[in-house]
Amino acid sequence: MRAKLLALLVVALPSWLMLPLVGSIDAESVKLKYGGARVTRQMRDAIGQGMAIALLAGFRGVVADFLWIQSHGYWEKKQWLQQYRDMEVVATLQPQSILFWDEGAWHMAWNIGYAVSVDTNNVTAAQGIKRERAWHERAQEFLARGIENIPNRYELYFKMGWLYLHKLAPDCGDDLACKKTRYCEATEYLRKAASFPDAPSFVGRTYARALEECGDIGAAYQQWISMWKHGPPMSEPSSILEREIRRLEDQFDLPDNVRVFPKHPTKPPASP
Amino acid sequence: MTEQTASREWVGFSLRRVWIIAVNTLTESMRQKVYNILLLFALVVIASASFFSQFSFGEEAEQVASVQLKFIKDFGLGALSVFGMLIAIVGTAQLIPNEVENRTIYTILAKPVRRFEFLLGKYSGSVLLIFVSLVMMSMMFGAEMAFKQQKLVGEVLQEEQDAAARGGLVDHQEIQRNITSIRADALDPNLVKGVILIFVKLALLAAITLLASTFSTSMVFNVTVAFMVFFTGHLVGTAKELWEHSAFARYCLALIPDLGMFNVADDIILGNAIPWLHVAKVALYGFVYLATVVAASHFIFSDREI
Amino acid sequence: MDAIRTESLTKKYALGWRRGKLLALDRLTLHVHEGEVYGLLGPNGSGKSTTLKLILDLVAPTEGAVWVFDTPATKVASRLHIGFLPENPYFYRYLTGAETLEFYGQLCGLSGTAMQRRIDELLDLVGLEHARDRRLAGYSKGMLQRIGLAQALVHDPKLLLLDEPTAGVDPIGSKDIRDMILRLKEMGKTVLLSSHLLAQVQDVCDRIGVLNLGRMILEGEVDKLISDQRRLSITVQDLSEPGRAKVEEAVLSVGAKMVSVEHPQTTLEHLFLDAVGRDERGAGEHD
Repeated sequence: MRAKLLALLVVALPSWLMLPLVGSIDAESVKLKYGGARVTRQMRDAIGQGMAIALLAGFRGVVADFLWIQSHGYWEKKQWLQQYRDMEVVATLQPQSILFWDEGAWHMAWNIGYAVSVDTNNVTAAQGIKRERAWHERAQEFLARGIENIPNRYELYFKMGWLYLHKLAPDCGDDLACKKTRYCEATEYLRKAASFPDAPSFVGRTYARALEECGDIGAAYQQWISMWKHGPPMSEPSSILEREIRRLEDQFDLPDNVRVFPKHPTKPPASP
Repeated sequence: MTEQTASREWVGFSLRRVWIIAVNTLTESMRQKVYNILLLFALVVIASASFFSQFSFGEEAEQVASVQLKFIKDFGLGALSVFGMLIAIVGTAQLIPNEVENRTIYTILAKPVRRFEFLLGKYSGSVLLIFVSLVMMSMMFGAEMAFKQQKLVGEVLQEEQDAAARGGLVDHQEIQRNITSIRADALDPNLVKGVILIFVKLALLAAITLLASTFSTSMVFNVTVAFMVFFTGHLVGTAKELWEHSAFARYCLALIPDLGMFNVADDIILGNAIPWLHVAKVALYGFVYLATVVAASHFIFSDREI
Repeated sequence: MDAIRTESLTKKYALGWRRGKLLALDRLTLHVHEGEVYGLLGPNGSGKSTTLKLILDLVAPTEGAVWVFDTPATKVASRLHIGFLPENPYFYRYLTGAETLEFYGQLCGLSGTAMQRRIDELLDLVGLEHARDRRLAGYSKGMLQRIGLAQALVHDPKLLLLDEPTAGVDPIGSKDIRDMILRLKEMGKTVLLSSHLLAQVQDVCDRIGVLNLGRMILEGEVDKLISDQRRLSITVQDLSEPGRAKVEEAVLSVGAKMVSVEHPQTTLEHLFLDAVGRDERGAGEHD
C-alpha cells in the first residue's frame, strides 16, 4: 500500500509543479491557433463514429483529407448539398488551411454554380440562374469565414475579389449601379491582397483591372505604374504592363514628358 | 557470525548494466516476427500515401501539388503515429510478462543486479525500439516526399513546355515560384519537429505501459490501460477548457498527461510556424512526466513479490 | 561460516480480501554448510520454491531473516556469490547459446577476452560447444537446463541454487546434470537443490531436508537416513542350493532372522543407460 501511495505522489507532485509550464504551452497554442475547431455534436453526426474516434486520437489532418476526397465523390454523383456539407466540415476541422477555404469556394461558385444552372431538373432557365446565384452567395459567406480565420495571407482576399469580379458583379444583370458597387467591393479585397509582399503579380494586375471597372481609372493607372516601377525587369508580364500603361496614357492623352512610355521617345522609357 | 565479520561488499547503481539490459531488450524485440511484420506493414502504408494522394483536385498545378503533398504528409505522419503507438504500447506491455514467462527475470534478479537497473534497462530498450522504428519509418517517409517532389516539379516543367509549345504566355516568375513552393513544401524541415514530439509522446505512452505492467503480468490489462490513458490524454485539452474556472479540476487533470499538445503535425503541415522554444517546452513536459511515471514504476516494482 | 543460514524464516502470502493468509513457510531454521550438496525435498506446495525466493530476495520474509555467507539476503551484494537455475527455464528464445552467456557475463561485470574465455570454458563444461551458435528456441529441454547451469556459473559463484534441475529431462540428460553437480562439489562449491524427484536426488546429495506444508519435518545425512541400520545385506556369488541352506542355518544359529533371499536388482535407470551406452559404442565400432 505504501508503495502505491508513494508512486501516486511521485507522479502528482511534479505534475502539479509543472502546471505553470503547461499553462504557458496552452496559452501559446491558443495564440498561434493550433488545433482547430472543437468537435461538436453536429460534426460528429456528420462524419460518423469511426472518424470521430480518429479525430479524438489527434488525426485531424487525415480525417479532413479523407472527407475532402469524399466530397469529390459527392461532386461526381451530383450530390451538391452533401458535397457542401463535407466541405464545411473540412474547413471547420482545419480552419488554418488556405486550401480548403479557397478550393471550397471555387467549387461552390464555379463548379456547383454552373452545374445547377444547366441542371436538367430545372423547370425554367430562370430557376437555374436563381440556383446559381444562391451558390455564389454561399461561396461568399464561406470565403468570409475563411478570411476571418486566415487574415494574414493574400490568397483568400484575392479569391474573394475574384469572386466579386467574375461572379457576383455579373449576377447583377442589367443593374449597373449594383454592378459598380460589387466591382468596388472587389477592389477593397484586392487592395488588401496586393498589399502582401509575397502576392504574385497577377494579384496586382487583377486589382488594377478591378479599379478600372469600379470607375477609378486614375488609381488604376497609378497601380500599373507602381507595378512597372517595382516589378522584376525580365519577366513576361512586363509586356502586359507596358501594354496597359500605354493604353491608359493614350486614354488620358498625357503629354510626352510625363509619360512612362512616350509616343515619340527621345530617350528609352524610364525602366524599372 | 555477526554483521561485523560479514562481507563489506557493495553493489552500486550501474548505468552499464542498464545499457546491457536495454540492448538485450532491443535485440530480443527486433528479432520477433510480430515486430518485423508490423514494421513492414507500416512502411507499406507510408509508401501507399502517394497512391492516395492521386485523388486530389485543384484549379491549377500549384494547388494540385499542394494538395497532394498535404495528403502524403498527413497520411505519412499519421501512420508514423499509429504504428509507433502500436510498437510502443504492445512492445512495452509484453516486456515484464515475457520475462516472467521465460523465467529470465529470476536469472537476472538472482545476479547482483538492482531492481531499478532491470526496470530502467527494460524501459530504455523499449525507447530504443521506438527510436529505431521511427527512424526507419521517417526515412521511408522522407524518400517518398523527395520522390513526389521530383515528380511534381517535373509536371510543372512539363506544363511550362506544353504552354510554350502552344505559343501561350509563359510567366517564368510564376513557374519558379511554383517550383520553389513545391520544394519548400516537400522538404519542410519543420516536419522534424513533428516527429520529435511524436517520439516524446510515444516514450511517454511506453512509460505508462511500463507502470501498468508493474501492477499486472496480464498483457491485455497493460495494453488496455495504455489505450485508456491515450484516449483520456486527448480529452484533457477539452476538459481543461470546460472546467476553466475550477482549480480543483485543474489539479486533478494535471495527473493525466495532456497528449493533445504533442500533436503539432497538423499545424506544421498547414504551414503554421511552430517555434523551437514551443517544441522544447512540450518535450520538457513530456520528459518530466515520463520520468515521474518511471519513478512510480520503480516504487511499485521494488515492492513486488516475483 | 554457513553458506546459507536462516533463522525462524516465515512467509505468509495474502490471499486477497478477507480470505486470510497462506502460511507458505513456518519458522524455518536452516543451515547449509559450505562445500556440501543439500537437497531440499518435499511435495508441491511445501515451501521449497518460497525458500529459494527468500534466499534470492525475490520475496520478502514476513518474519525472520536469511544470510548468505553472512551477508543479509536483502543486500544486492549477497548475490555476488549466488548462481541460480530456475525451474523450467526458457531464456531468451532469439539469442544463441553464446549470446546468452555473453549477456549474463556482461551483467556480472565480465568483458573482452576474459569473458570469451569464460564462455568457452562453460560451454565446454556443460557440453554445449556444438550448439553455441544455435538460437535457444531450437534447444531441447535438457540443453536448456544445461545452458541454465552455465549462466548460473558465469561469475564463478560459491553457492548454487538449483530449482528442480532434472524435472522434465530424459535419463541421459539427468545423469549428465547429476555428474555436473558432483563435479561442482569437487570444485568446492556449495549446492542447494530443490526437487521432488527423490530417486535422482539420492545419488547427489550429502544432506537432505524434507519440507511439508512449510515446516521442516526431517533433516539429516542421506546415507544415514536411508539405510536401515538394523538389517544387513550380503551379496554372494556362485552359491549352490545346499550352500544356501547352510547359510540360512548359520544365520538362525546366531539368533538373527532371515528377512529375504532374492536376486539383487539393478535399477531401470542403470539398465537404460547401459543399453543406450552399449548401443552407441556398437554403432561407433561399425563406422
